Amino acid sequence: MKKLPILFALAWLLLSGCNREKRYIYEVEQQELYQNASEKRNLKSTTQFISIAYNDLFGSSITTEELNKFDITLQAFGDKAVLQDMIVKSLINRGGVQIVDNTTMRADIAAFCENTYLRFFNRKPTEFEAWKLKDLIEKNADITPKMVYYSLMTSDEYRYY
Amino acid sequence: MKRKQFIKNAAAVTAGSIVMPYILPSGRLFAASGARKANHVVFCLFAGGVRNLESMQKAEGNIMPYMLNGNESISPDIAAGMSAIPGPSGTRLQNLGTLFKEMRYVSGPTGHYNGHTTAITGKYSDEAIKLKEPPKYPTIFEYYRKHNSPSMSALNAWWISDSLGPYPFLNYSNYDGYGALYGANSIQPGSIFSANANSVLGNSLPLSNTEKAKCDLMRDFMNGQFKTGTQLLSPGIQNTPEDAELVQTFIRNMMQEVAQGLHNNPWGIPMNGDMYNVYFGTKVMQQFKPELMVINMQGVDIGHFEFTSYVNNMRKADYALYKLWEAIQSTPGMANDTVLIAIPEHGRNLQPNSVIDIYGRYALDHNNDEMSRRIFGLIAGPSSVVKQGQVFSNAQGESIDIVPTIANILGFDNDIPAGLLEGRVLNEAFN
Repeated sequence: MKKLPILFALAWLLLSGCNREKRYIYEVEQQELYQNASEKRNLKSTTQFISIAYNDLFGSSITTEELNKFDITLQAFGDKAVLQDMIVKSLINRGGVQIVDNTTMRADIAAFCENTYLRFFNRKPTEFEAWKLKDLIEKNADITPKMVYYSLMTSDEYRYY
Repeated sequence: MKRKQFIKNAAAVTAGSIVMPYILPSGRLFAASGARKANHVVFCLFAGGVRNLESMQKAEGNIMPYMLNGNESISPDIAAGMSAIPGPSGTRLQNLGTLFKEMRYVSGPTGHYNGHTTAITGKYSDEAIKLKEPPKYPTIFEYYRKHNSPSMSALNAWWISDSLGPYPFLNYSNYDGYGALYGANSIQPGSIFSANANSVLGNSLPLSNTEKAKCDLMRDFMNGQFKTGTQLLSPGIQNTPEDAELVQTFIRNMMQEVAQGLHNNPWGIPMNGDMYNVYFGTKVMQQFKPELMVINMQGVDIGHFEFTSYVNNMRKADYALYKLWEAIQSTPGMANDTVLIAIPEHGRNLQPNSVIDIYGRYALDHNNDEMSRRIFGLIAGPSSVVKQGQVFSNAQGESIDIVPTIANILGFDNDIPAGLLEGRVLNEAFN
């Protein structure tokens, strides 16, 4: 009987040692990741911005008809950031957006931050970025995944590739 | 510090402060040197190719009765093709300022884009149309925002374009030292205040002020991290966050009102695209009271195919210009403190093409002949500023004179670097 705890401990070590490496599945198309933000030097065109935003949120391609509607609207105002903000707010509020729920986000904020950077910025966050975003989410209970997505998609970096 | 060294340093600082004048945020050394004639300018490109034969010479009757004196009736053979537009009852615009009946568009192709570019940059342009590329030389918006003092936000400079394509790109140039930083807010109301735009932008994510502040916090952090070693292509004109919020609220409200049908027929007559463009331009004007607004109309370009519709659309443009004037005078802050300028970008050929309309009239192109270079110009404004009822019937003034004239009205013409502009101030229009 005295050997029982030792056997359990050995079994636990054996099992935990055989655990698969934790892997994240990113809901993005297979593409090369940026090593850092400074690699992004090209401004997205109006159509690129819309189609990428749509794909990032819905995981599918926007229809030509809808892309055209968005594009005409975006062309019609000079300050693109104003319209891009409106476009993102509109897309993100639709049904069918692939969005992490708040409970899942708060269960593992670090993983959420990394996944979100990969999904929208096509790169991993730096250590500082990961820490800071996690810190902001932790300290602000009212920050939702939608708000994080919205903030990323209306940032300067999201306008470039 | 030793006394000797202290005196030496103090002397150096004093000398430096004398030698180095104060540099204003606009990037120049001193405040605008000229006195303003008025605090607002609205420049209407009465465009699409208006031939002086039909406008100033009244070959088909007075088809611009809101601008021009006279009651000459419309040619009977095309009268049936005219829309019902109420006749003028107040003072006609030519009596509220100075009319140049024979201005010239001297050089460059008589194309719409070139004509617009010339009028907005003050430089004759022979550039090929470049879709999605700004013009080569600074626009009046950049001169205004760079050289006016104090420097004004983009909310004070608006370009209201009737169409997409290359036109929205006339809000700033690629010229070194100017560019998007000094550009205007450009808007094409026909596309943005539409059911189409409302269908894709209507269902917006609601954010409380607190939520918005949190999003701003996250975005500001991300923006702070986005640094690249190379010069990035400018994303174009950018409003300050506060101004962007005002603009977005305005756009959203207008879109909703359009969707509710509140702007379906605001003038109570059948309206064309020109009229709607001017109407929505007046909404921008009433909301932001810009110091400089440029707006265009191009409905008369139907003249390539239908002469009678060309004449009819000129009547509509005339009415729209009057409504613009009326809106200026009913906008607090702009009334009696605004100069309205109107010119076509170019004219149309003397000889018609071979396209005939149902009234038996031949259509007109514009291919650089002498007639297509003849335009008119109207400068209207407060009687203390603009000479009232003055008419120049001889060849006087060019389209490149509009930019220096606007700069003069707003008091910064002397601050524009020498050599950039080729035109002159149309001083003869002012008291």
